[in-house]
Amino acid sequence: MNANSEILCDSYKKQNWIKKLFLYFVILLLIVAMAVGISIGASGLGPWDVLSSLIKDTGRNHSIVWMLRLPRVIMAAIVGFGLGLAGAVFQAILRNPLASPFTLGIGSGAGFGAVTVILFFGGGFQTYLIASGAFLFSLISAFLILVVAKMKRASSETMILTGIAQMFLFSSLTSLFQYMGTMEQIQEVVFWFFGSLSKAGWREIGLASAMVLIPFPMLLRHAWDFNLLSAGDESALALGVDVSRLRMSSVVAASLMTAGCICFTGVIGFVGLVSPHITRMVIGSDHRFLLPTSGLVGAVVVVAADILGRTLWAPHVIPIGIVTSFIGVPFFFYLLVKRSKEYW
Amino acid sequence: MLQVIDLFFDYGSTRILEGIGARIEGGRVLSVVGPNGAGKTTLLKCIVRILKLARGSILIEDRDATCISRRELAKYLGYVPQNMPAKIPMTVFEMVLTGRKPYLSWRPSEQDLWITANILHEMDIQDLAMRDVEQLSGGQAQKVLLARALAQEPRYLLLDEPTSNLDLRHQLEVLDMIATLVKNKGIGAMMAMHDLNLAARFSDTILMLKEGKVFSIGTPSEVITPKNIREVYGVEVAVRRDNGYPHIQALHCVIDHSDSD
Amino acid sequence: MSTTYPWAGHFLPSVLYDINMLHQRPLKKRLLIVGLTAALLLAPQASSAKEAAVTIKDALGRTVHVPYPVRRIVALNSDVLEIVRTLKAEEYIVGVFSEIVREPEFWGGLAKKPKVGSWRDPDLEAITALAPDVVVAYGRNPGPALEQKANLLGIQVLRLDFYKPNKLEEEVRTLGLLLDRRQEAERFCEWHQRHLKMIQERVTRTSHRPKVYIESYSDYHAAGPGSGGHEMCILAGGSNIADSLSIPFPRITPEWVLDKNPEVIVKAASYGNGFSLKTPAHFNQRRDAILRRPAWHHIPAVISGNVHVMDSAIWAGPRAMIGVGHMVRWFHPAFFSDLNPEALHRTYLETFQGVPYKGIFVSDDFKR
Repeated sequence: MNANSEILCDSYKKQNWIKKLFLYFVILLLIVAMAVGISIGASGLGPWDVLSSLIKDTGRNHSIVWMLRLPRVIMAAIVGFGLGLAGAVFQAILRNPLASPFTLGIGSGAGFGAVTVILFFGGGFQTYLIASGAFLFSLISAFLILVVAKMKRASSETMILTGIAQMFLFSSLTSLFQYMGTMEQIQEVVFWFFGSLSKAGWREIGLASAMVLIPFPMLLRHAWDFNLLSAGDESALALGVDVSRLRMSSVVAASLMTAGCICFTGVIGFVGLVSPHITRMVIGSDHRFLLPTSGLVGAVVVVAADILGRTLWAPHVIPIGIVTSFIGVPFFFYLLVKRSKEYW
Repeated sequence: MLQVIDLFFDYGSTRILEGIGARIEGGRVLSVVGPNGAGKTTLLKCIVRILKLARGSILIEDRDATCISRRELAKYLGYVPQNMPAKIPMTVFEMVLTGRKPYLSWRPSEQDLWITANILHEMDIQDLAMRDVEQLSGGQAQKVLLARALAQEPRYLLLDEPTSNLDLRHQLEVLDMIATLVKNKGIGAMMAMHDLNLAARFSDTILMLKEGKVFSIGTPSEVITPKNIREVYGVEVAVRRDNGYPHIQALHCVIDHSDSD
Repeated sequence: MSTTYPWAGHFLPSVLYDINMLHQRPLKKRLLIVGLTAALLLAPQASSAKEAAVTIKDALGRTVHVPYPVRRIVALNSDVLEIVRTLKAEEYIVGVFSEIVREPEFWGGLAKKPKVGSWRDPDLEAITALAPDVVVAYGRNPGPALEQKANLLGIQVLRLDFYKPNKLEEEVRTLGLLLDRRQEAERFCEWHQRHLKMIQERVTRTSHRPKVYIESYSDYHAAGPGSGGHEMCILAGGSNIADSLSIPFPRITPEWVLDKNPEVIVKAASYGNGFSLKTPAHFNQRRDAILRRPAWHHIPAVISGNVHVMDSAIWAGPRAMIGVGHMVRWFHPAFFSDLNPEALHRTYLETFQGVPYKGIFVSDDFKR
């Protein structure tokens, strides 16, 4: 029996090792994608120029690399990571494959916040003002979900329904405001909903990464709790998880992440939904691996989408939010049809 | 010893449990029986604190259970739900390993893996270990849930109708397994049961509930009587003794004359 | 034009445009038209005075029959309303777009006329109630659904753009004809033509075509071919760095602009209406933001401070020539030092619009 037990333990460890391997693979992929991302640009600065500009101060090239390309690529990675991770968290705590920062209305809340600022405080469309509006309203929408959940014992169904109701509410408010706006404002709103990485500088990166990376350890610490939650609230409760508290704190953390990401870049859809699914299809749903890997997959998707958006029709830039959906949806369909197990 | 003292539970304004008292001892099986809606499952859930009791107390080894943290409580009580929730994206091994949650921090230790593997062997489901949980049959799923509860190394097991979805063979298999575990490991078990004959055969004590109150408590022979069953279930039965266990045969429903009397 | 900037309308290819003037139709046919109009309009007071109809080609190249002279007109956007005012025919305005209430100062009494809903989505019921002879809208905005419904209600829609300086005079003459204000139309066209010609002649004499980055309202969105900004840039003798791009408002990367080394940067902006502004602070802020954009300190335009922000009121639309007047001074300072676009604007507002000259429409010149 002991020998057999050893075999069992070993095969479990082997599975984990494979998961870890995939995690490393995605990290590698991200590094490659980011390297490609900073080697490509309108000015035709190749990889070697970039390398030499990274090290020594060569004026114009140095500025291009340090002020334009690096911030863009790093912001893409952070936003992708945040959205992918937040999506995995939402799907875990709500035990629902449709959950994502956007289906919960947090994206719509952010959009509404941005539109409000563009319309009513918009003198000059200052990035920070818009970002604050988006941030504030995404937290308001997360808070609304929490309030309703608190009243109705935080069941996942209640939260999802609240999210969907909210999504419709904020979308229609956004449309109303848009209807009231001038052409200039409408244009700004439309472009905000496309998502953009051009406006990201180092300061935005600092803020966004703080909001993504600070809640990350807390979420990772609860990885086992998320695992337990996937077998149902009651099992999780019986195994010592304070389910409502976990759900509340995770919604707050994941909403912060979402808000921190999209307030600077506008709507980058689909990453939050699709990254956890892609990851789960490959490595299953042990959240110790799923959470970081889903974030990294999201980062790869956004960095790659930005590269495509900048190169496919250069010098036109296809907005990032459009590209993520364009490459994300067919790939997602492919996986849906191809996969053998139906986890969801 | 796990003691339930004068326990009340309300669902909204409806009283579900009223003044329940019971005790579970190590190495012994207590079955909770009663018609649908009598509060069997609710009682179990109150004890594992899935539901919050309105009044009363639960003592575990003379400690007040409400003062114990959830995590600590999970080391004492293993809960086996009635069904495997649908679509759990885990392998059997992972699922059983989650039973170690009260003990582990982030990374399961060698010991945690070892305990998990041993339980799978003990229950003879080691071949399922790398299978996905959702591919299991009803009987297999019930065993995996039981295995998960055992991985908690609990002193008490609370089982919610462990045989409700099983065929005859699996019913006996699972109950035999529980009886063996209780005997060998000195675990105390509390089962919500539908089948009175199985309850009579596998229990040391039977607690019969009627409309949220204890109607009768005692050995199977004391509780499983035609009179009790008529009162609680409204069914006329014949009780025979079979290998020392009471065995009932349902005859017909009782026509309720209480109003006209 | 002011707030109702038809950026969607800028997808217009240049349209064939000519007027078939008042050609004498056979009497029978004329009667038929009048009769039909009367029957369809169900508004006796509107059509009883009609003597004739004119057939013109509108901005979409379609042949449109319009009763002559037009006495009841609904203006669906600010451009046509400005032209009507230029033609001194405000009395014939029976309905205006609802957004007009945002600029009461500029529009005066016209802002009190009955509203017919948004210029993008007019309310046909309100329009029908006003029994207009004609409703004037942009070529592409609102979409063709407007005609589909309007035709059922017997309302004639006329599509005129008024936003390309080269086509403006023809369109003004058309409207002048319809409103029987040919003299006023000529007066404006003569003035417009004189200054436009002067600018163009001088531009031809300059050999240098400075590279210009024209940015639309949203940051990092250029003004490509098909946009009003592009047309103005060409007229002003600039070389639009986005001229090889294929859509009117392409999103571009900051690096692309840097790579193109523009010598001048012009950005469109709108703060309601430049007419009501007292200081250029908004424009200057926007300009400074451009000057501060990361890595752009390598761009010649930023180095020399040749970065400007222009109000949408003089950006395309009937006042595009004034915007062009500013641009030539930025593109070719040596050749146009004597040109005073503000004086042009004063004439336009005081003589043609009948409002006092005021407001701020461009950012200050940047001085280090």
